[in-house]
Amino acid sequence: MTREETLNELKKVIAPYTVNKEMLAGINDQTDLIRDLKINSANLVDIIIDAEAKYDIEIDYDSADRMTNVGSCLDVITEKINQK
Amino acid sequence: MISTGNDIVALKAINVARTKQQNFYSKIITDTEKALYDEQFSDRLPFEQFIWLAWSVKESVFKCAQRINPELVFSPSKIKISKLAAPSEGGPSYFEGRGFNNTSVYRGVVEYGPDILHSRTIITDDFIFSVVSHADNFEKVMWGIKKIDSTDADDQSKAVRTFALAMLNTLFPGAELEIDKNNYSCPIILKNEVEIPVPISLAHHDHWVGYSFQV
Repeated sequence: MTREETLNELKKVIAPYTVNKEMLAGINDQTDLIRDLKINSANLVDIIIDAEAKYDIEIDYDSADRMTNVGSCLDVITEKINQK
Repeated sequence: MISTGNDIVALKAINVARTKQQNFYSKIITDTEKALYDEQFSDRLPFEQFIWLAWSVKESVFKCAQRINPELVFSPSKIKISKLAAPSEGGPSYFEGRGFNNTSVYRGVVEYGPDILHSRTIITDDFIFSVVSHADNFEKVMWGIKKIDSTDADDQSKAVRTFALAMLNTLFPGAELEIDKNNYSCPIILKNEVEIPVPISLAHHDHWVGYSFQV
């Protein structure tokens, strides 16, 4: 899976948790989940759980802690897919 | 600078079934905290409320600590609730005040690295609201909780600022107060455009907003 394909899937994971659909369409590595997409912090665990299910991966504590912006989410997901 | 942190979770907005799933709650609480629930709270507090109590306490600790160390990353598993005492009576009937009646709130001790913090949590049918402080004495902590009409993030942000400023204006009459954010996104209070040493913590979730600060 290319980074762009992973990004497109990640947009689907994030979509239920943001009302900022315009910004979601144009997200990049620097997009912050809370500050830019206005995702409530209480939904961050939902995103991690949904990403685990979407990509059939397991995201450990330390990796989950890094998932604060789109770039770091893609890094973690790619890392976990490659470890399978 | 003495700091507090707070967080609010709207119980109508949480997914109860998902919260009870092991792969979900294990990202919020440790095995030791799960044992704390099983041994002391399983007969009096629904499990999903314990999980969100833990979340709100941990998020509050993070907000408190981030002000001192802005590079911190929120890591629930590294913030450990070592003690928790249940209230002996029902929750408070007022949603804004100074300090807490210890008999009507959950009282916790939280370890975060070398730091020990103390928490107070109010649970109602609608929300879970927590405040943490480095001191076990909350007499100088001002706090407030309010229901708002909108769930839009910008509206929540405006509403919680207006709410907190109303209290601040009673404490600093005549001052031109504003709430802004510093470079690390921590809220700060400005008096005549200059930051004052009163760190404030703001929270919102769904239809609920809350604040805390220490005077």
